[in-house]
Amino acid sequence: MIVFEHVGKRYGGRFEALANLDFRVRRGEMLFLTGHSGAGKSSLLRLVMRLERPTRGRILVAGHDIDRLHPSQVPFYRRQVGVVFQDHQLLYDRSIFHNVALPLTIQGVEPRESARRVRGALDKVGLLHREKALPIELSGGEQQRVGIARAVVNKPALLLADEPTGNLDPQLSADIMALFEDFNRIGTTVMIASHDLALIARLQHRTLRLREGRLVGDLEAA
Amino acid sequence: MNRRSSPSPRGAHTHRAGASGRFRGWLRHHRAICQDSAWRLLRTPVASLVTMLAIAIAMVLPAGLWLTLDSARLLDAELTESATLTAYLAPGVEEGEAARIEEALGAQPGVAHTRLITAAEGMAEFQQALGLENALARLDDNPLPASVVVTPKAPAPEAVRDLAEALDAVPGVDEVRLDLAWIERLRSLAELGRRVTLALAVLFGGGVLLVVGNTIRLAVESRRKEIEVITLIGATHGFVRRPFLYSGAWYGLGGGLLAWALLTLGGGWLAAPVSALAESYGASFSLPRLGAGGSAILVGCSILLGWLGAWIAVSRHLAEVKPR
Repeated sequence: MIVFEHVGKRYGGRFEALANLDFRVRRGEMLFLTGHSGAGKSSLLRLVMRLERPTRGRILVAGHDIDRLHPSQVPFYRRQVGVVFQDHQLLYDRSIFHNVALPLTIQGVEPRESARRVRGALDKVGLLHREKALPIELSGGEQQRVGIARAVVNKPALLLADEPTGNLDPQLSADIMALFEDFNRIGTTVMIASHDLALIARLQHRTLRLREGRLVGDLEAA
Repeated sequence: MNRRSSPSPRGAHTHRAGASGRFRGWLRHHRAICQDSAWRLLRTPVASLVTMLAIAIAMVLPAGLWLTLDSARLLDAELTESATLTAYLAPGVEEGEAARIEEALGAQPGVAHTRLITAAEGMAEFQQALGLENALARLDDNPLPASVVVTPKAPAPEAVRDLAEALDAVPGVDEVRLDLAWIERLRSLAELGRRVTLALAVLFGGGVLLVVGNTIRLAVESRRKEIEVITLIGATHGFVRRPFLYSGAWYGLGGGLLAWALLTLGGGWLAAPVSALAESYGASFSLPRLGAGGSAILVGCSILLGWLGAWIAVSRHLAEVKPR
């Protein structure tokens, strides 16, 4: 699903955020990306989302070199990748329903079909009863679940998450991770950047470890 | 080289809609954005009104000048139509002789109509026009010659000038006067006015672009977060731009309608003194109105300028607003 071939990323010509990354992620796999802050986890995800481009090597997603996408094709690529952000990236002047519907609105999905899918996604994350609420009325954990619902409403084949449990207590974190496992079980490839080592250890999935922009460990699930 | 036909990995679900479904979705989206951008304007009525007024004021001046020029053009046509030549006969020509010369002049090709003014009639007209009866009554002789007013068939200046030369050659005619110089002066003046109006229209059009551009820039700034988020989840530039383009068009529509109202009000306010002035010159001249076509052009230009201003502003800022 994802292939990194000798990928490197420099900022400003000097600072080397990522160096010589070589790995493959199989379709339907679930894996963690760990390392201290500054190790390059977010940079790696930004490369996969094509928010940035590698300075060396190439990245294939579903067999396509995403560096060679024409700028006008990038939005269509992003629609195929569900992303959960640490800071949720919700619109605070729209209801939960509208936030989750946003990817479908962008694609011009017919309203009834859109409402059906939005309610399905909200139901999955257990927030169907809050669809009319504004994000500000929700707790941090609930907001994160709204972010997840928005990431999966389009049924992406690839789901990326950047520190999805960053500010949550252990119980809520476990709930969120269980949600990701549910999506993985129905075939979604899931890649999660996290520094919560205790949680990762419990979950028994493949783990890529980054240190100073280099891959220093690739532990397959036991 | 990098442009491949379809390298993006698309899921099956995006193909389900089909072309007509996608078009309906696109239309639905436009309608929704159109309404939403109108609501946003109405939610800040004072700020919106100020922007629209600024647009309206910038539109009124060139539009008003253009209207005035248009009426001057009508007046010019009317004047050219009524351009006549006056053939002054040699002094001391008897009345019977004068009638014969008038006939000779009337027989010239290119002459539509002639009217003889005898020396006595000329004097009477002169006295009446100037109110100088007492002063002129003291003169022993009538110093005015008889004259023939000739109306040419073709009012074009060159044709009239040729005709004047032909008439001058008729025996008994002392001098032919044609009053074209002031018509030509009026024309030059109209041409000058036309160019000034065009220059002003370009300047004020640029002003409208700046006003709308600045307003839209602020709107983009206030919706920066939203732009970032929808860009992250796959919105195209067109999608991001669209609400702002509609806002610009709404500002243009509001400004255009206000400009129309200002022109109509101004026209009404000036109508009475203008027709009084015209009447004092013995002319029937009234201020021109925009009419349906002119109104449509005014409002259409305003909408177009608003849309264009928004497009420039958003495109400039799209490059700046990059997701973190």
